[in-house]
Amino acid sequence: MTDAKQFDERYRLNPRRSDDPGARKRSRFVAEQQRLLQSDLTRRPSNIAFFEDLLTDPGRPDDKPLVGYFCNMIPIETIIALDARPIRLGCGNPALVQQGEEVLSGEICPLAKASFAAFLDADNPANRCDALILPSSCDAKRKLGEVLADYKPTFMFNLPPEQDAKRFGAVAAAEVERMASWLSKRLKRRLRRSALLEAISHTRRRTALIRRFQEARSAKPAALSVRDFFVIIQSAAAGGDIGAWLAEAEKALTEVEAYEPTRRRFRPRIVLTGAPMIWPNFKVLNLIEEARADVVADTLCTGAESCFDPVVYEEKGRKALMRALAERYVFASPCPCFISQGTRIARVLDLVQEYRADGVINYGLRLCQLFDMEAYRLSRILKENKIPFANIRTDYSLEDTEQLRVRLEAFLETVEKD
Amino acid sequence: MISAGVDIGSTTTKAVIVGDEGPRAAVIVPTGNLPGKTAVEVFQAALSEASLKESDVDIVATTGYGRRLADFGDVVMTQIKACAAGALAADGPAEAIHTIIDVGGQDTKVIAIDDEGDIEDFSMNDKCAAGTGRFLEVLAQKLEMPYEDFVQEALKSETLLQMNATCAVFAESEVVGLLARNVAKCDIALAAHNAIASRIASMTRRVGSRGAYCFVGGGARNKALVQTLSEHLNKPIHVPDNAQTIVALGAAVGARAKAAKALERGVQ
Repeated sequence: MTDAKQFDERYRLNPRRSDDPGARKRSRFVAEQQRLLQSDLTRRPSNIAFFEDLLTDPGRPDDKPLVGYFCNMIPIETIIALDARPIRLGCGNPALVQQGEEVLSGEICPLAKASFAAFLDADNPANRCDALILPSSCDAKRKLGEVLADYKPTFMFNLPPEQDAKRFGAVAAAEVERMASWLSKRLKRRLRRSALLEAISHTRRRTALIRRFQEARSAKPAALSVRDFFVIIQSAAAGGDIGAWLAEAEKALTEVEAYEPTRRRFRPRIVLTGAPMIWPNFKVLNLIEEARADVVADTLCTGAESCFDPVVYEEKGRKALMRALAERYVFASPCPCFISQGTRIARVLDLVQEYRADGVINYGLRLCQLFDMEAYRLSRILKENKIPFANIRTDYSLEDTEQLRVRLEAFLETVEKD
Repeated sequence: MISAGVDIGSTTTKAVIVGDEGPRAAVIVPTGNLPGKTAVEVFQAALSEASLKESDVDIVATTGYGRRLADFGDVVMTQIKACAAGALAADGPAEAIHTIIDVGGQDTKVIAIDDEGDIEDFSMNDKCAAGTGRFLEVLAQKLEMPYEDFVQEALKSETLLQMNATCAVFAESEVVGLLARNVAKCDIALAAHNAIASRIASMTRRVGSRGAYCFVGGGARNKALVQTLSEHLNKPIHVPDNAQTIVALGAAVGARAKAAKALERGVQ
């Protein structure tokens, strides 16, 4: 039940480090630029700096251990219940992509390369982690775990191949249990059922807040830019204090809900789906809003979707709770790593109807085959349902900005048909 | 009513003036590195070709990459919308046009038109130059041939060499390899045309191809590209007379429709 079983100790390597002040400087600059760009937004929550600061560097609010995790499929309640801080490590900084190629091949997706590059820099917040947990959600992640195991104690969370809870429910719940006991041994703490219940109530409060944001934005999109919404959401997983985040988010929500638009909004309403967009790589979000369209809902694992499903349990026994966590994190996930893309397509169709969307934009990250393969079925299903659809495939770099702008504007012209 | 369309493209800037009786002037100049200034010049040149003053023009639309740079326009539209409007307004084949292929300096676009004449779907090449006019220009330079000769040479060849079209820079080194093996220049030229034609053909089929094909943009002036593309699509391709100024024409036509609608509203 230890990491030694997952990774062969005989072939462990000394971790490589790289001191590149140029890359560090550029990555800070890129983040500042995005912050500057968003500072021009007309309406922003008065406390938005709190969330932006968390994304820049969460610091270390106390001496609780930090547990780094990837993707939206790790039951973070187990980490919180062990009195540790979860910090999501998927990196969106374009300046770090190239640095990742010092070790990884150029043919790996920019998300994996940038996320890995964070570990090359000894001063990066990622290196403050006491343990790492990665799901086997794609080939890059599956192998990244083994690379990162040289840097930090690492656990690979195995996902079932299909979202069939009847067949795989027990296996997935056992995997959550295995992960929890690995972490509990690693941190030398006991996982208490009462602490787990309390952690679940924390994340449920977060879900409730995000859902209220979602409703308010859908009714009056001018109240909050999708970029600021994503900043708020993503900062929740940045490793800061959960209680503080909940209090600030509540404050921002009060302002958003209190906003009364002065006139009707005629901008096209978009449902965004596809690969994760991670701050500060908000290139496509910038373009969508600059083209005067509103993202009213999304299925992104780094967007509202990441907080949308609450953990629901019927019994409070440890086994039942593990099952409930598996249900939320594995079987409700819209990730394309499962055999069928049914969960995501159904979700997109529901969102279009529920939020009265005019069209769907699918964001594909270059070198992510999973989302790329799914674009085919998604586009045909949406066409059959007469829902305008645009497929945007790009990476972290800015060189195709103007091409993307033409595509998005032309798509919006066809949506509007004036 | 007099309307004007100015298409500020990556390589050339085009202006077309349209009166009630049809197009009155069409001017093409290289864009250079000051697209905003070039746009003003080409618009003025088109006015003088049509013997008109700026005050005679009722509405101006700008399109292309520099569409927001030219601040003298009334309407801004994307080159996709303008291209569709232009191809449908130009001289056409007997069969209705449902597929428009536009090969420009930095982009290739395929637009599917529905039965109402609206844009049904469209596709653009990925960010790099492969599959665009630029790809062929780069290879002509590598062969040290003027572009016109490069096209003529391609038409002469009967050899079918394989060449990649995924990257213009890689294709350049591929050409270096072929030259080192003493392969005839005409065969390399044809291979380059076939590479890009097959790429454009699969892009066309992705968008869904039916009805007549209309080929516009600077690329449509290239006879070797028209021939190889037609072979890959297994269908004749219609190239309108003014293939390179179609987008500017479409902008002018689109602007007219907009002005007409606005006037109608004003009367009511």
